Amino acid sequence: MRIIARFKKDDSVRLVSHLDVQRLFQRAFRRADLPVAYSNGFNPHQQLSFATALTVGATSSAEWLDIKMDKDISADEFTERVNAALPKGFRIAEAACAEDKYPSLSAVMAAAEYAIVLRFAEAVNAEDISNAIEKLLSSSIIVLKKTKAGMKNVDIRPMVYKMELTGTHGAECSLALAGRLDAAGGLNADLLLGALKGILGCDYTYSLHREAIYSVDGAFMPKAPEGYTVQA
Amino acid sequence: MIKDKLNTFLDKVEKPARYVGGELNSTEKTDAQVRFALCFPDVYEIGMSHLGSRILYNVLNSREDTICERAYAPWPDMEKQMRENGVPAYSLENFRPLKKFDIVGFSLLYEMCYTNILTMLELADIPLRADQRGEDIPLVVCGGPCACNPEPIAPFIDLFMIGDGEELIGELVDVYKECKVKGVSRKETLLAMAEIKGVYVPAFYSPVYDDTGAFVSMDKIESHAPDMIERRVVKDLDAAQFLGKPIVPYLSIVHDRVAIELFRGCTRGCRFCQAGFIYRPVRERKRETLLKQADEILSCTGYDEVSLFSLSSGDYSEIHQLVPEIINSYRDKRVSISLPSLRIDAFLKEDMEQMQSVRKAGLTFAPEAGTQRLRDVINKGVTEEDLLRNMKDAFESGWTGVKLYFMLGLPTETDEDLLGIADLARKVSAVYYSVPKEKRGKGLRITVSVSSFVPKPFTPFQWAPQNTKEEIIRKQHLLKDALRGLRGVEYAYHAPDVSVLEAVMARGDRRIADVIENAYRKGARFDSWDEHFKLEIWDEAFAEAKVDPAYYANRDRSLDEALPWEHVDMLVTKDYLKREYHNALEETCTRDCRKGCNGCFGGKCADYCKI
Repeated sequence: MRIIARFKKDDSVRLVSHLDVQRLFQRAFRRADLPVAYSNGFNPHQQLSFATALTVGATSSAEWLDIKMDKDISADEFTERVNAALPKGFRIAEAACAEDKYPSLSAVMAAAEYAIVLRFAEAVNAEDISNAIEKLLSSSIIVLKKTKAGMKNVDIRPMVYKMELTGTHGAECSLALAGRLDAAGGLNADLLLGALKGILGCDYTYSLHREAIYSVDGAFMPKAPEGYTVQA
Repeated sequence: MIKDKLNTFLDKVEKPARYVGGELNSTEKTDAQVRFALCFPDVYEIGMSHLGSRILYNVLNSREDTICERAYAPWPDMEKQMRENGVPAYSLENFRPLKKFDIVGFSLLYEMCYTNILTMLELADIPLRADQRGEDIPLVVCGGPCACNPEPIAPFIDLFMIGDGEELIGELVDVYKECKVKGVSRKETLLAMAEIKGVYVPAFYSPVYDDTGAFVSMDKIESHAPDMIERRVVKDLDAAQFLGKPIVPYLSIVHDRVAIELFRGCTRGCRFCQAGFIYRPVRERKRETLLKQADEILSCTGYDEVSLFSLSSGDYSEIHQLVPEIINSYRDKRVSISLPSLRIDAFLKEDMEQMQSVRKAGLTFAPEAGTQRLRDVINKGVTEEDLLRNMKDAFESGWTGVKLYFMLGLPTETDEDLLGIADLARKVSAVYYSVPKEKRGKGLRITVSVSSFVPKPFTPFQWAPQNTKEEIIRKQHLLKDALRGLRGVEYAYHAPDVSVLEAVMARGDRRIADVIENAYRKGARFDSWDEHFKLEIWDEAFAEAKVDPAYYANRDRSLDEALPWEHVDMLVTKDYLKREYHNALEETCTRDCRKGCNGCFGGKCADYCKI
């Protein structure tokens, strides 16, 4: 059987890299003494996979993992035992049993949603930000992206499903962002926020929080809302 | 405050997880009567791999009156950010500036980390020199193997702890607490601490040099201080505190596994090996104790590998029971086992097969020298026959990768000895090809790793000259040519500059401190890392301090010369070291002390040695 679970990563552990997250879950499962299934061979490893990686420095309330078990275990017991074993800053929020034939999480994921806080040097005007976003979204967004073949100019506009201002508080403003995230690729929020800087003409730092990962089927990860598809 | 500042730049540095703590099993305390900062003068991944400081972390934090927090040397990118943003050196547990601790302690594992101590002190806003520290500044203390010659860094340090720390560090905290309650001065505190066996306060002693600049003696300038500082020994290692619930790092560290310490000390007496002399006598932990510790640590960390740690794990008296017991207990949990420091004459084929049944790790062997003559000089009681037989067993069991460690520049070494290394590699290669194809694995890899010999204090070679840099380079190339064209053989060696510097630091006197500070001021950092080591800086630092490195590294010392570390008593007597040096030059081996006492303590401390 498999367990598919959503976990949270809070601010205290935002600098823990994806590779380290994989390792810490493996160790947490061992501490929790769960009947985890291992691969065969000289170097057996846990049959554990993640929907996707989270960029270092970001926090999240919706990371998804998939772990195969040798013996059945209830989702509640899994959650309880893993949470007792996890280091502070990580927490399983929900878990469910999945059948072995269910596809991998990366195969069904479709989109992701982020809450972003921009921090400017001084107080900002909401209207200026809204206008800049509108302008950014009104045409193609060409960014320089690192690909296997080297640096390449790509248009990331079709991968942006939603980008809006949700509030301003002094020198801070918050944005809601949704974009493509599937096995073939996804919206890179860092590149998009870099492009927004160009339009605004002033510098800011930001924090990134993943709110949700959506899927095509809604079986475990929530189903992607209407309109969350790549724009022609 | 520190945390807020860190948040503004941590995403700009390499591996930011080095600098934020929060790992599983780190102490949850926020404060206590005595604050101890346990510092490691190298980067997090190295420091977190050091067993000794992790034991001390547990010893200190299991005291109710003490909080122990960690700090590691910031990588140069982090140091730059800390300076630019005004962030002082701080502890990982509570982001507390090091200056707010009572005691700031450093582990000294190798000489090339000394400049990093200065980085951490300066970032902490603690004056570099002990004589410039005021009443409110933490005590700066050191311990670890390099403390056996404390002199090169003595001016920077308030107090050294010599020998095993498990008991000593608690006694130090006890005295500190008493002094703190009484409100006595820094000097009185140090005087009280100097009464603890194993404590050395350098300010209470002053070196004397003659007109030629030769070291003459160490004069005591504080009458209450002891004449000799006797090394501390934990007599009953089995009963000593160990790791408790060790921290599980997020980052992948160098030794990322459970380590259990089978024994301390070594009975072999290899004459180049400082650890083999300064950790005597051998003290073993009981098998039951080790199994219990392995079990507890595996279950509270979630690690999947146990390392059986010691100076020569194959010598553990119950090794052939312990290895299968661990393998069998954890087979279902897929825990693998690794044995560092294997001696090629102490291990059996069955053990190797058992290790392989769980996971196949690389094999490393250390013949150290290429000919039997030179192996007799260094008392490495290993024969070519032993090595080749073990190689055959390993290749027949499917191993294909083997690392062979050697030293270059050992006392009395000739070119013939050196070419013996190539000869041995050739024979190992031939052994592989003599194993039938269907029995052996594919793709032979023999790594011949050759380091330059560094003479160390408290070894029989403490009087011996190191080869000059030019001689080391000549020998390295001679060997390179001899190894050329050998199938499956890879040759690994290092530039000699770091070894030469290490030799100066190892047998240096107090005058070397100026060189270290000069180099630090000029930007020397992480000198043990090839990417950071800058020879020009050190050349200038020596010249400005008017110190000739060759005087310390390449000089043949006379046996009756006064040595700058002789106020430290590491228990093995000078007479014994002299006798062993003679035996070396006579190419005479000395027996393993499990086979009979060789009298290295000269009759003292008879109750320490249980063999």
